[in-house]
Amino acid sequence: MHLKYESIVREPLVDGDKSYHQITEDICAPIESKPTKLWTLGFLISASLLAFGIFSVTWEVYWGTGVWNLNRTIGWGWDITNFVWWVGIGHAGTLISAILLLFRQGWRTGVNRAAEAMTIFAVMCAGQFPIWHMGRVWDAFFVLPYGNTRGPLWPNFISPLLWDVFAISTYFTVSLLFWYSGLIPDFATLRDRAKTKFRKLSYGLASFGWAGSAKHWQRHEMLSLVLAGLSTPLVLSVHTIVSFDFATSIVPGWHTTIFPPYFVAGAVFSGFAMVQTLLVLTRKVLNLQEYITIGHIEAMNKVIVLTGSIVGVAYLTELFIAYYSGVMWEQEAFRLRVMGPYWWAYWAMMTCNVVSPQLFWFKKLRRNVWFTFFMSIIVNIGMWFERFVIIMALHRDYLPSSWSYYTPSWPEVGFYLGSFGLFFTCYFLFAKYFPVIAIAEIKFILKTSGENYKNKMRPIEETTTEHFIEEQTHHH
Amino acid sequence: MSKKQYWKGLEELTPSVQFKETEANEFREDLPFNELESIAHATTSRRDFLKYLGFSTVAATIAASCEMPVRNAIPYAIKPENITPGVALMYASTYVDGGEAVPVLVRTREGRPIKIEGNNDSTLTYGATTARIQGSVLNLYDATRLKYPTIDKKESTWEAVDKMVGDALNGLGGAPLYLITSTNNSATTALAVSQFSSKYPNTKHIMYDAVSYSGLLDANQSSFGSRAIPAYRFDQAKVIVSIGADFLGTWISPEIYAKQYSKGRKISAKNLVMSKHIQVEGMMSLTGSSADERFTAKPSQYGAVAVAILNALTGGGASNLTPSLNAAVTKIAAELNANKGASLVVCGSNDSSIQTIVNAINNAVGAVGTTMTFATTNNTKKGSDADMNAFTEALKSGQVGGVMFYDCNPVYDNANGKAIAEKIGGLKLSVSFNDRMDETTQLCKVAAPSHHWLESWGDAEAHSGYVSFMQPTISPLFKTRPWEESLLKWSGDMTSHYDFVKNYWFGKLGGQSGFDAAIQKGILEPEMMAIGGAGFTGNTADASARIATSKIGKMELVMYEKVGIGRGGVWSNNPWLQEMPDPVSKCTWDNYILMSPNTAKANGAEHTDLNEVQRDKKVFNLKANGVELSLPVLVLPGMHDEVIAVAVGYGRHKMVGMAAANTGKNIYPMVSKDANGNSNYYASVDMTGTADTYELAITQTHHTFESKRPIIHEFTFEEFKKNPSELYEERKHEFSHFTHSFDTPAHGEEAAQHEEAAHSSQAPIAAHTSNGDDWQDAYRKNGTLYPNHESLGLKWGMSIDLNSCIGCGACTIACQAENNVSVVGKKQVLLVHDMHWLRIDRYFAGDPSNSDSIQTLFQPMLCQHCDNAPCENVCPVNATNHSSEGINQMAYNRCIGTRYCANNCPYKVRRFNWRDWNEADCFGDNVYEDGRRDDVNNDITRMVLNPDVTVRSRGVMEKCTFCVQRLQDAKNSAKKEARTIGDSEVRTACQQSCPTDAIVFGNVNDTQSEIYKLRYESQKERVFHVLEEIHTLPNINYLSKIRNADVLQSAAGHEEGAHHEAKKEHA
Repeated sequence: MHLKYESIVREPLVDGDKSYHQITEDICAPIESKPTKLWTLGFLISASLLAFGIFSVTWEVYWGTGVWNLNRTIGWGWDITNFVWWVGIGHAGTLISAILLLFRQGWRTGVNRAAEAMTIFAVMCAGQFPIWHMGRVWDAFFVLPYGNTRGPLWPNFISPLLWDVFAISTYFTVSLLFWYSGLIPDFATLRDRAKTKFRKLSYGLASFGWAGSAKHWQRHEMLSLVLAGLSTPLVLSVHTIVSFDFATSIVPGWHTTIFPPYFVAGAVFSGFAMVQTLLVLTRKVLNLQEYITIGHIEAMNKVIVLTGSIVGVAYLTELFIAYYSGVMWEQEAFRLRVMGPYWWAYWAMMTCNVVSPQLFWFKKLRRNVWFTFFMSIIVNIGMWFERFVIIMALHRDYLPSSWSYYTPSWPEVGFYLGSFGLFFTCYFLFAKYFPVIAIAEIKFILKTSGENYKNKMRPIEETTTEHFIEEQTHHH
Repeated sequence: MSKKQYWKGLEELTPSVQFKETEANEFREDLPFNELESIAHATTSRRDFLKYLGFSTVAATIAASCEMPVRNAIPYAIKPENITPGVALMYASTYVDGGEAVPVLVRTREGRPIKIEGNNDSTLTYGATTARIQGSVLNLYDATRLKYPTIDKKESTWEAVDKMVGDALNGLGGAPLYLITSTNNSATTALAVSQFSSKYPNTKHIMYDAVSYSGLLDANQSSFGSRAIPAYRFDQAKVIVSIGADFLGTWISPEIYAKQYSKGRKISAKNLVMSKHIQVEGMMSLTGSSADERFTAKPSQYGAVAVAILNALTGGGASNLTPSLNAAVTKIAAELNANKGASLVVCGSNDSSIQTIVNAINNAVGAVGTTMTFATTNNTKKGSDADMNAFTEALKSGQVGGVMFYDCNPVYDNANGKAIAEKIGGLKLSVSFNDRMDETTQLCKVAAPSHHWLESWGDAEAHSGYVSFMQPTISPLFKTRPWEESLLKWSGDMTSHYDFVKNYWFGKLGGQSGFDAAIQKGILEPEMMAIGGAGFTGNTADASARIATSKIGKMELVMYEKVGIGRGGVWSNNPWLQEMPDPVSKCTWDNYILMSPNTAKANGAEHTDLNEVQRDKKVFNLKANGVELSLPVLVLPGMHDEVIAVAVGYGRHKMVGMAAANTGKNIYPMVSKDANGNSNYYASVDMTGTADTYELAITQTHHTFESKRPIIHEFTFEEFKKNPSELYEERKHEFSHFTHSFDTPAHGEEAAQHEEAAHSSQAPIAAHTSNGDDWQDAYRKNGTLYPNHESLGLKWGMSIDLNSCIGCGACTIACQAENNVSVVGKKQVLLVHDMHWLRIDRYFAGDPSNSDSIQTLFQPMLCQHCDNAPCENVCPVNATNHSSEGINQMAYNRCIGTRYCANNCPYKVRRFNWRDWNEADCFGDNVYEDGRRDDVNNDITRMVLNPDVTVRSRGVMEKCTFCVQRLQDAKNSAKKEARTIGDSEVRTACQQSCPTDAIVFGNVNDTQSEIYKLRYESQKERVFHVLEEIHTLPNINYLSKIRNADVLQSAAGHEEGAHHEAKKEHA
């Protein structure tokens, strides 16, 4: 009898008749069997997208940034849009693993591993864009504050782009450590189950000699808490700093104090949508419906409707403040945003981000897997447009003489597709060789939230308090 | 003190030997050296590890690093006299294009000319230049120039050519030999021609101007008895009326006229005098854009307008034109009447009847002898259409033995071109002295290319009495020979051209010393311009009668010269000029049909009003003078609704050069002959739309200040007279509330710290704190959270007078030449990758559907060198930063190309090297994806690059530097001589080239400098900064535009009575 009592009103987090051993079996099964056809196909598609992306970027580096359709007025386009988009997506994983860990949300255990992996891969994708968008990428290391012989020559510490360098790299490092430290006990499980020498060696190396001793577990828990503590402010800071790229500038439509909270909310919004996209597929393909339940999906949909509404309020606030400020440049920027040449992007954003998530107020829709999948795509399209709309504030700023327009060229689209290639190649490898659900962590909650254990509570729930007390005192 | 002893264990109280030993030992346990055994015995020892690490890092670095191609510079083995590597030399010479001759100074480096400047000593031009003069240095290095003489298009030698031509000349057997040249006003050339003619008496020398002024010359012959163009004096005119003459852009001597014109536009609160310029024209010209009042008329109405003005002045019949033109005539006549003796009327028509009437008007208003003088004539244009017609007739009837062409291309640019082309091949002798395989030269048997003017000796007398000398500034690049020398050789005179010129001028100037002095100065001018009137003898009745019969077409075509490309000729293959945005249409690389918005709408030519989204334009078919061709339509406000315009000089043969090929169509075949046999550049035209579209590379797609953006401040002359300080007061009102500092100390603890900061910020920033402009300093200091940076010593600043600026674009090209600004090509301009550091923004005000209401504003826009620059703080690597002299500077080597600075620049003046325009990066041959080579990156054209300015590689940002290389040069010379820099010692390239002196540059901390006086004293009332309210603190100021008109139009087309209300709203 577990000491923590959880009401049976709460939905179980693990369905079916599961024992600790059964969990291990279920989660390790895809890793230990041969790749399915579906997996191979998906992997090949991802790898070819990645190859095309590499080709597109090589093309751009060889011929110059001019093969992109950016111009003297619009210096950033799809490159930075995609950067911010991917960084935003990279927020959910850490939020789930760190903030929900600190808040003791049991349901995170079903999804945190995949979400964290998604974070790592999304940040990797995001990082590509600011690197390859540079005109002279071979000098990219200039942004690092390294000792040099050029006199006291340092990067410009007041540039938001430099803050980005630190913010993203810190975030990536901490997320990676967090993810990996969680993987260690599971790698040890895989090592112990391994049948071939090679597997034993690889998982053995990856598990750093984990022995499962009480001391190991204690330290592991402690490390998780420390990393969670470290990551929590990072979840907020990374997108805040990314938003400074815009907020600290003087471009009308960028220069806005609302950006930091609005960007963070948007990031969580798009991150959860991406987690939904991946998990709806993963649970189906890897047969993990009992671990990633409808309850999980609904919980995340609730986060989506909350953050979507925050984002919606932010959009309306922006419009109001532009009007209320009395600053002509701001008013014009927002008028053009809504009604200018990029009106279609604005309204795509509004529809996808603000209007459509409101459907999640209906419980039936929240618990519908296919609708969730569809919405998760819509939200990410909307969030892509949000970044595009913001960046395209450049197209009409102060002097009408320089107004311009922008549509991407094939290498820009190729680069974006390539980032999907990178993301999914990594994700497919992850899904095949790594346990997509944290085996150790989900076992923590099995006896409180597992369906079979919950069912055992039923007769107890039905007894009267007096009877229960009597029973307890007499039997123990 | 207590003697108590504390012990922490019994061992310490009674220590054993072992304990003492342990206690004394720093490390209580043995260090685990044994465990390191494995490392010690590893095959790679610990020490070697660093070696391997170092080696592999270096190897990887070397393997991965970009290898820069090695380009060898060969030093002088024997240093030539007067050349010090790294030091520029200036030579006086003369820019020549056809008859146009302008005294210039040529800057040379290591024996190659790199930049043309105006010659300030000239009392005609006062150093004025045009875009074409600035761009002409590139023509010298044009790789498509003929590199050797050819016979039948095959390479030949001069000996072979001399023999062949000599034989042919002797074999003409009395048949006439035509020598067709552009206008010649050189005394020595005339002498060479006459020597040749005396040897071959059947020679007929015809002067031919590609764009003819024959009608004007003929009219002057009949009106004043002199077939010459008078010297116009726009500076003496209080009222200037132009009927279709683009005298600031292309008409006769625009550099001189622009300089003169600007004198009447230099208005200030203390000098409330301003000329009035009224323009009547069909198309929207550069001159019309600067006009105070502008009326549109069809070209066929120019005559009627002129007659009506004359009638109004002399009390003849009332004018019977359209209501708007009647009003125009009344207004013009009133202005002219009120300013007799101080007004000037010019007309751009080539119809001698109209020019006769204009002469009569000038006679009636007392212009002759005051604002125009025949005592000094302008010899820039002398061509005769009648002579050319006679030549064509002779050709057709087989009366011609041979023909020689110099600097003219009638096959391409004459109305009879086709007839001429057919016959040249059959002649016994056909020689072209042209510099390239142009349309005429291709048909000639012999090509005997002459030098470029930068390689030549010579002289020119573009205004009578004003001689300008030419001296070579480089050895001839190719095997070319001055055409005068060829003529001399063929007439049996073996003197070299240099000796020939020298001998002539030795006689005139008294030997070597006089000649040397003249060459050094470059000019020989009278003390004062000879002014004299002439009796008017024109037959106005006859002219009026002829005008009355002129037919009015439904739709009329104006064939005009572009400011950059002009008549075509050598300019068609000048990539700088091809890429220079046309001042009015802002289009590059093409010619097109200019059409009013109304007409475009009515004919379905307007694709969309979102030019930046839709770059392709509808193509229309034109039919006139029996010729048909199709061109794209560019909609331009200010065009008369029944007038379309197409520029000449395009549609060149591909052998003219890579830049010239595939740009536009040749419109010259539509030129017809009028009743007097003169070329008529107007035509009645049939126009039909097609389904095709064509992309035009336009650099500015928005025409107005959308939503009244307060970018330019404009006042009518009346408003300004009434209250010159309006703008000043407005600025003061807006910025004077910044009286307190953000860092006012709040708590005692911080007070000391803040006091220190406040103390430093109270130190005088500039000398002008004392003259009542404290609010400007207060805004500078208190408009920001950050400390103010003092600027002591030098502080560079620039002022641009929007009233003087005529938008001609000379500065754009001067900047391009000085600063090695890249040419990107049409495709890249379409992608908005243009690189000009200095662009001229052109805005329209008025109702687009009413062409008469259009008012145009030009605003040169370049890096504003903000003291609080938004670009500087966003660069992650400090590649762009501020100098102590107020310059926003770029360290190209540090730039990694994030483009954040460009995004954050509110003026959008930063230019990114999207591609390897200069082939300066480490990737080979990567300018264009199809591997094509362009016309700018060959070894010959690269010689034009200014070695003082870094050639930027791909991936870095660039922009205006205030010509920092010139500043550095001046500072160095001042330092060497241990003195301070004088005010006029350093001039930026744009300032130097400006024909209207709109740009003033200097040290604003020097209270004696022109810029200081202008900014804080003489023009204090007109000063403003663009986007001053965002606290960028630009070091460039503008002076407000004052229009000598009754009303100002707003962007939306309403007359702006209460025109400042809007601005206050936005403030």
